[in-house]
Amino acid sequence: MPTTPDDATPLTAGSPLAMSLEEAEGDTSKAELDKATPGERARWSHRRWFVALRSFAAFIGVWYLMFLWNGNPIQLPSPFRVANAIWQLAISGELLEHASISTTRLVIALVVATLVAVPLGFVMGLSRSADRFLDPVVELLRPISGIAWIPLGLFIFGVGDVLPVFIMVYVAFFPLLLNTISGVRNVDQRLVNAARTMGVHGWPLMRQVIVPAALPTIMVGFRLAFAGAWAAVIAAELIGAPSGLGFAIEWYRQLLMTPKVFAFIVVIGVVGYLCDLALRALQRRLTPWAEGMGLS
Amino acid sequence: MNKVTSKSKLKLQNVSKQFVAPRTGHKTLAVTGVNLEIQAGEFVCVVGPSGCGKSTILNMIAGLDTPTSGSIEMDGVPIRGPGAERGVMFQDYALMPWQNVHDNVGFGLLHGTPGKGFNPEQREQRIRQHVEMVGLTGSEKKYPHQLSGGMRQRVALARLLANGPDVLLMDEPLGALDAQTRLILQVELLRIWGETLPREERKTVIFITHEISEAVFLADRVVVMSNNPGSVKAVVPIDLPRPRAEAVRAHPVAEQIWGMIKDEAYRAIA
Amino acid sequence: MTTTTAAAASDSSRWSAVFHATLVPVLLVLAWQAWSMTLPANSPAPSPSRVVAAFVDLVATGGLVQATLLSLGRVLVGFLFAMVVGVGLGALMGSNVRIKDNLDPIIESFRPIAPMALLPMAILWFGTGTAPSLFIVAYAAFFPLLLNTIHAVSRVDRKLVLAGMTMGIPRPRILTKIILPAALPGVLLGARLAMGVAWTAIIAAELAVGAKSGAGGTSGGIGQMMFVFYAYSIDLNGIVVCMIVVGVVALLIDRIFRFAEHRLMPWRHR
Repeated sequence: MPTTPDDATPLTAGSPLAMSLEEAEGDTSKAELDKATPGERARWSHRRWFVALRSFAAFIGVWYLMFLWNGNPIQLPSPFRVANAIWQLAISGELLEHASISTTRLVIALVVATLVAVPLGFVMGLSRSADRFLDPVVELLRPISGIAWIPLGLFIFGVGDVLPVFIMVYVAFFPLLLNTISGVRNVDQRLVNAARTMGVHGWPLMRQVIVPAALPTIMVGFRLAFAGAWAAVIAAELIGAPSGLGFAIEWYRQLLMTPKVFAFIVVIGVVGYLCDLALRALQRRLTPWAEGMGLS
Repeated sequence: MNKVTSKSKLKLQNVSKQFVAPRTGHKTLAVTGVNLEIQAGEFVCVVGPSGCGKSTILNMIAGLDTPTSGSIEMDGVPIRGPGAERGVMFQDYALMPWQNVHDNVGFGLLHGTPGKGFNPEQREQRIRQHVEMVGLTGSEKKYPHQLSGGMRQRVALARLLANGPDVLLMDEPLGALDAQTRLILQVELLRIWGETLPREERKTVIFITHEISEAVFLADRVVVMSNNPGSVKAVVPIDLPRPRAEAVRAHPVAEQIWGMIKDEAYRAIA
Repeated sequence: MTTTTAAAASDSSRWSAVFHATLVPVLLVLAWQAWSMTLPANSPAPSPSRVVAAFVDLVATGGLVQATLLSLGRVLVGFLFAMVVGVGLGALMGSNVRIKDNLDPIIESFRPIAPMALLPMAILWFGTGTAPSLFIVAYAAFFPLLLNTIHAVSRVDRKLVLAGMTMGIPRPRILTKIILPAALPGVLLGARLAMGVAWTAIIAAELAVGAKSGAGGTSGGIGQMMFVFYAYSIDLNGIVVCMIVVGVVALLIDRIFRFAEHRLMPWRHR
């Protein structure tokens, strides 16, 4: 997972609008989209919905054909059996149960990681000496991926709830920390100067200038942290937890009930997608002025 | 309080500034040997070719930078750092992008030293007054990214004045505007500054610009700087009656000032 | 400043840098060692001294080097495969909006599905040998490569493309001669990110495959080694050795790719 601020290209967080040779010849571009009227925009998003639906239909069609060609319903179940499995799991409540367990762990981990990484990031961003002392430790630990901590973590915490949360906190910590440091360091010095010439120092300066200025970058870090943690939770649950979506996938694989395996994979994708949507909305709400900064 | 008041509001004595690049150690002499005395209530413009150190001097008066040698005093007291009594209007306005017009105008009042001595209602009233003064009533809830350049400039001006500084330091505040808006705002600026008031009631203004006609239109005196190294070439008094007429922009003294910096300007693009 | 004093100054700052860089890590390791010495002699807890001993042992007789190379080999193969598909598809999607609009929903739906989520199915399809790990690595590396290529290709300066068109260059040539070289920095960035993700993925895959197949699985690799140390030989020092190896390799991969980026594109300030 990319974890450094300079790796936080728009790619890790959303799909950009592409320019094609057609656009160079004058097709619809983002700038035009911004100037579109509400009616035009509605038609544009309807069109996108239509294209998306068509692509999904095509995808399912291809899947079905491959299922027929493959012949082994356990290896590759039919999309309709998978849909049925999703339905069954939904009404039995099992879907929600595992999904909420994984999401709860995710939320706890993100809260803990934020509470540790963001203040530390401020300290390291503002104090040269704190950074010089602590940065080596951070840079030494960062390459050791959260996954590599699973065996040791299993030994310390055993199989259970704590292990996935521990791994997720570790994974979420670094993007949050690094982005906070970067956000704090890259605060526009002119704004700080302006505040100082108005007699604003100390805590008011922090609260009114530095924190808001760093917030957009911190939000990007938060989204990166979420993406990393969501991947890590599945891995951790797969190996060392008695519940959750990762566990469910492995459990049903061992029972060779592959439609259910696929069902849970779909759920993983859906939950991840919805959470990212929510985070993007949060980002727009908290930092509305950062829209044009290439951070979405 | 017994403050030693010298005659001048601002006094720069033999001020030089040398910059040292942090990594290479390379030294640049930005300004040298600057001597200036500015009286209270004066409107002083500073003109000169690019790189002559106009902004450097302004930053030092603002307290955002310190001179390598020489001294800068305000009311006889050496300047030690930034403060609200020397308000600054920056080239790109430096508005807080996350705050609306109202909060930006009131930034100093709400969070800094200018607000001390006012109770909340008084602060609100002061904010409203200044928003009205620059003609932005009705736009208080808008954010900087929703405003035009001219509107942002007016917010910056309102903020500056709301803080009640003694000295206004302005670094090419009209630079980012188109020519027509610029002419209009020059007149506005003079009106708000109070060019028809007696000198004792006016604020001291130091205004950097590279537009000579603008300098002549606005100023009581024009400080002409030259490049390499940055220093004061001449100080030209503009003894034209106030309120200034439009024709002043083309007054012969403008030609005279241009003559002083023409050679350097040509050399700069050679 | 004379050259000798300048040299002395940079020497002392180098020492200062070394001091700052190593103080906290060294203190932590010493604290760790001290803590481990308070435990009973037969405690399985890892300690710095025992980790070093385990490292020497594993390199000499435990097959650490072989396991590392095996894991790296798998990463490379998976990465190459992902590169061919990812960069190829990315170039297509980046230059043709219609293709991109149609494929985007599918791609975006798979993106939140972590590579590890597909591991159980991969085991079902390919067994417990090398193949499922390769699949996971390729899947993991695919997304950064694809997305960064799309981004890079779509950000190519339109004017370059237009210039090519006005010179009568046919469209396929425009793709290969203008767009791809211009997109190279972004593609290399994607490659660096992809390798990083791939390395993490191989460890995770080997770990999980090892957990599912038991010690009898001959998949080898660092990940499986770690699992064996956890579940069978309870060799925590061995686990720590593996963790450090994982970290060191990750760092090396990153540095090598950054170096390549720097070399191939000296015009970038990286």
